[in-house]
Amino acid sequence: MSFIRDLPQNFFDGLSIGSVYALFALGYTLIFSILRIVNFAHGAIFTIGAYFTYVLTGGTLGGGNFPLSNTRVPFSLNFWIALVLGALLAGLVNVAIERFAFRPLRNRNADTLLSLVSSLGVSLMLSNLIQNLVGSDPLPAPEPLPGTKPSFNVASVIVQTSRLLTFAVAVIVMAGLWYLLNRTRTGKALKAVSEDATTSSLLGISTNRLILFTFMLCGVLGAVAGTMVSTNFNITGPYMGSEYALIGLAVIVIGGLGDIPGAVLGGFLLGILQTVVSSISFRVGFWDWNFSGSSWKDAVPFITLAVVLLVRPEGLLGRAQIQKV
Amino acid sequence: MKTTCLRAGVLGAVFLLVPIVASVPASAQTPKAGGRCAPKEVGKTVGKLTCVKDGSRRRWVAAAPAATAAPTTAAASASAAPPASGGAPIKLGVALGLSGASTANLAQDQRLGVAVAEKFVNDNGGINGRKLQLVVQDTGGDEAGAIAAFNALIDNDKVVGIVGPTLSQQAFAADPIAERKKVPVLAPSNTAAGIPQIGDYIARVSAGVATYAGNAIKYAASVDPLSKAAVFFADDDAFSRSETVVFQNAVKAGGLELLTPQTFKVNDTDFTTQVNFVRQSRPDLVVISGLAQAGNLVKQLRDTGYSGSIVGGNGLNVVQTFSVCKQQCEGLIVAQAYSPEIPSEGVNVEFSKLFQAENKRIPGQIAAQAFTGVLVFAEALRALEKEGKLNGSLEQIRIDLNKAVLAGKYSTPLGDISFTPEGEINQKSFYVAQIAMKRGATGDVFSGVFKYVKF
Repeated sequence: MSFIRDLPQNFFDGLSIGSVYALFALGYTLIFSILRIVNFAHGAIFTIGAYFTYVLTGGTLGGGNFPLSNTRVPFSLNFWIALVLGALLAGLVNVAIERFAFRPLRNRNADTLLSLVSSLGVSLMLSNLIQNLVGSDPLPAPEPLPGTKPSFNVASVIVQTSRLLTFAVAVIVMAGLWYLLNRTRTGKALKAVSEDATTSSLLGISTNRLILFTFMLCGVLGAVAGTMVSTNFNITGPYMGSEYALIGLAVIVIGGLGDIPGAVLGGFLLGILQTVVSSISFRVGFWDWNFSGSSWKDAVPFITLAVVLLVRPEGLLGRAQIQKV
Repeated sequence: MKTTCLRAGVLGAVFLLVPIVASVPASAQTPKAGGRCAPKEVGKTVGKLTCVKDGSRRRWVAAAPAATAAPTTAAASASAAPPASGGAPIKLGVALGLSGASTANLAQDQRLGVAVAEKFVNDNGGINGRKLQLVVQDTGGDEAGAIAAFNALIDNDKVVGIVGPTLSQQAFAADPIAERKKVPVLAPSNTAAGIPQIGDYIARVSAGVATYAGNAIKYAASVDPLSKAAVFFADDDAFSRSETVVFQNAVKAGGLELLTPQTFKVNDTDFTTQVNFVRQSRPDLVVISGLAQAGNLVKQLRDTGYSGSIVGGNGLNVVQTFSVCKQQCEGLIVAQAYSPEIPSEGVNVEFSKLFQAENKRIPGQIAAQAFTGVLVFAEALRALEKEGKLNGSLEQIRIDLNKAVLAGKYSTPLGDISFTPEGEINQKSFYVAQIAMKRGATGDVFSGVFKYVKF
């Protein structure tokens, strides 16, 4: 009965975390739709975005004996301004990744597997760079709305302010992305490149520029996701993005590789499923065995993935790929 | 569009980087402790600061503290000795989870602790004149990484002994390798039951949780009348599983009703389920066994209105917890094997001063235990050197070192310690602390202290 009673609460919490999954996975899926590669460095960008925002709000970096330990910038920006600037900076880092880790391979028509390995390497380098510059201390995330109550009640649901903000920001960003992709020339050009890069190029679309723009955009999406997650759970260290990197991968496969609405659907689905399953617990008296759903939380994305692949291999909203042999 | 974004980004980068560079403790012109120094300044002393090379970094550090009136023979003899200079360095291995998502916080403090120990030992005569050289291997956060690091330290780096790994979970996987190869291991933070029992060459300076974890429950019960306890633990971490058993027994022994234990994962940050459980079952005591990330459970409980007592396990007994639960850490009760507030031993005073000079923060239990691990090996090596036993084969040195470690008595930041023949630490003093938070100068609410409490 507690499962039914907690359903509204879990649904709300699932929506919040699901919106972050969706936002994060959009970064994966945009790049995949254009380059047909998975950018594993996206988890590191997620982390870097959170660090950038923290620094720009005037936060002091962690203690210890590292080059940037205990330092801070001599100004303190409003959280929302810092969020935007931090996201743009993370976007630039992502552009640099494209320039130095992906483009050289693309220019040589290297196998996409090499790009995958390259992005893994970049991911490790970025995490280690953070670790060696500022250490591994968790950092207290800035408060988006200082002075507000941390939570309030709506009927039987406890609404945590930070989660509500996370959900709202994610929805606004996703709406903006939808507008960009469907109502602007740039968005239409992106769609054209994702359909056929060579033909688009022949029609006068600068694919290299669009690819750079896509990386910038994905960096911004990842950074916003990272920052909003940190407002809920703080910056847990240089590896905070690694868990999301794996879940994000499951999200895009569940939704359909390269499918943008699919990534959003997959993100929300996994967020809600994870929260609901975590809340299930019961005791089997006959075997003296306790089932605790929270022990299965990490498995939920991958069990869901396995089920979806069995039932609909192209993903929930993906299109079946016909390959010539 | 692209050009606009790039311009905005470049502008942001300039705004970000210039102040950061400007705010980094600057250089050689007005040296500050911890600041960087130029290559040509290595060895140079300005005022009370000396430029030293530590690996690839060069920093201004405070000169070694003057020898104080240490109460024990070991510390006194060390302080009186000149810095290490002659002979080949003696290599001691350190295996830490520096790049593990769940271990990086702990391992960072351990790394700072062992670095201070290396300096302390070498500034005080080294191993009777020979330098002690630490070889650090990163284990990552899992068992496979710990095994690889142990193999590398033993077979490639040819170390005489190993301090590590970070997690009990890793120790159960990697320690048997050291045991088979007869390499002494001192566990700096492996508090799960069964660690010293892995083998003859495995000992620990981190007291088992059973020894002291229950004190926190007793203290909580002495402050507030308690009737019902909810227990949470990370079920994918051997240490947390072990600790929760101690906590659950202490709860039962205290006559409290124990609710069905609830689990989470060691890397979890979202504790919605656990918070809902507390809302429904209304305990007046919550007990948590996890690592620093579990500070999020403390935060989320307080954010959603829970006002009862909270006891944290050993994993929350680290300064990093302050940044996770921020002002909501206030009042969190933890049992400790080390208190920086109890400078009853001379070595603790020196360790604390040196650690703060190097790292600008008060050392916690994790750093103190890591320091102790290196110090114990150094003292045992000194004893071996006096007996002329450091000139034999590496295999024989390792065997003799293990015997010397287990036979010795040591004055450490943890107090006077020794070992049982099985390798379990004999430690006299344990503490209970309660976190008190204060707003930092910059407005960050993550400055806190573990206030020692008597009960």
